[in-house]
Amino acid sequence: MDPITEFAFNINNELLAQASLLLNNNLVFTVLVIAIVLFAERRDSKRIKIFSALLIAFVFSIVLKSAFAVERPCAQLGLDYCPGDYSFPSMHATIAFTLMVAFLNKRSFWVFMLFALFVSFSRLVIAAHSFADIAAALPVALVSYYMIDVLWRRYFNEKGN
Amino acid sequence: MKREIERQAFHVLAGIVALAVLLYLGKGMLAGMMFFVVLIGLLLINLNFTGKKLGLVAWFLERFERTNVPFVGWGSACYATGVLIAAVFLPSADQVAAAIIILALGDAASTLVGMRGKIKLPYNKKKTLEGSAAFFIASLTGYLFAGPMILPVALAGALMESLDLPFDDNITVAVAITTAFLVI
Repeated sequence: MDPITEFAFNINNELLAQASLLLNNNLVFTVLVIAIVLFAERRDSKRIKIFSALLIAFVFSIVLKSAFAVERPCAQLGLDYCPGDYSFPSMHATIAFTLMVAFLNKRSFWVFMLFALFVSFSRLVIAAHSFADIAAALPVALVSYYMIDVLWRRYFNEKGN
Repeated sequence: MKREIERQAFHVLAGIVALAVLLYLGKGMLAGMMFFVVLIGLLLINLNFTGKKLGLVAWFLERFERTNVPFVGWGSACYATGVLIAAVFLPSADQVAAAIIILALGDAASTLVGMRGKIKLPYNKKKTLEGSAAFFIASLTGYLFAGPMILPVALAGALMESLDLPFDDNITVAVAITTAFLVI
């Protein structure tokens, strides 16, 4: 375990652990992300763009997880809540960072950044991921949103971001 | 022209700093540092978007940023993301070092030589053969870290850089050379 992951995993806070376990539930996290997009963005075209970027980020994450096949820290520790798939890169963090990038030009960006950092930190708290998985999620998110942004501009003749 | 030379000089300098962090503090530290550099960069870009200009940052971007970018800070963010891609996805520090050299020297050489180039590439009239050759030759400096493996990797980078893609070449080249290292 790297020092950042070890620090987060050793934080003994019941509330943080419960929140992290709640976010670990894929259904809860998916509903939360969809609700945030629908609440934070009023324009239908931008909503579709964000969901497209999230879908691309999801696909990239699955492909990279299978390609690198890194075991999760919690699997090595034998923790019962540990997800069954691979670790690298973090899917939760990729989705949260993609959401963050989608609001780069908005005043509320810092809220999405805090959300993304909290989601990422929560993955370290329950040892579902190491810091390397979180760090890898950021470029995957940036590339995913960037690809969709370029395609949107090219085919729908819309302004960026 | 002068602005582009300054921009490329900064490009190379940033690469040297990244290389120094990698060699003295390790791959994990470089990945961590670049992760936070990209996040802080995004925050600064957001401040610029929302009309808040920070003196030193505004001066820096005005001096080193290209004018034909989607938004202020774009080039720097893409460069940092390119280094982050190499730092997190490549397994060995030597490969990361070679990738940083390609990103720093390859791009700078291709831009500076390409501007004076005469022979246009048949598939991309915006770029020249001299520029692509300069990218490849400058990238071979990565031999110091990656050994003979640098040949196909530099070729992949030069090829990607020569294409007329709608994406920033700091990212496409980083993805190309990282994939080349992983596949080879």
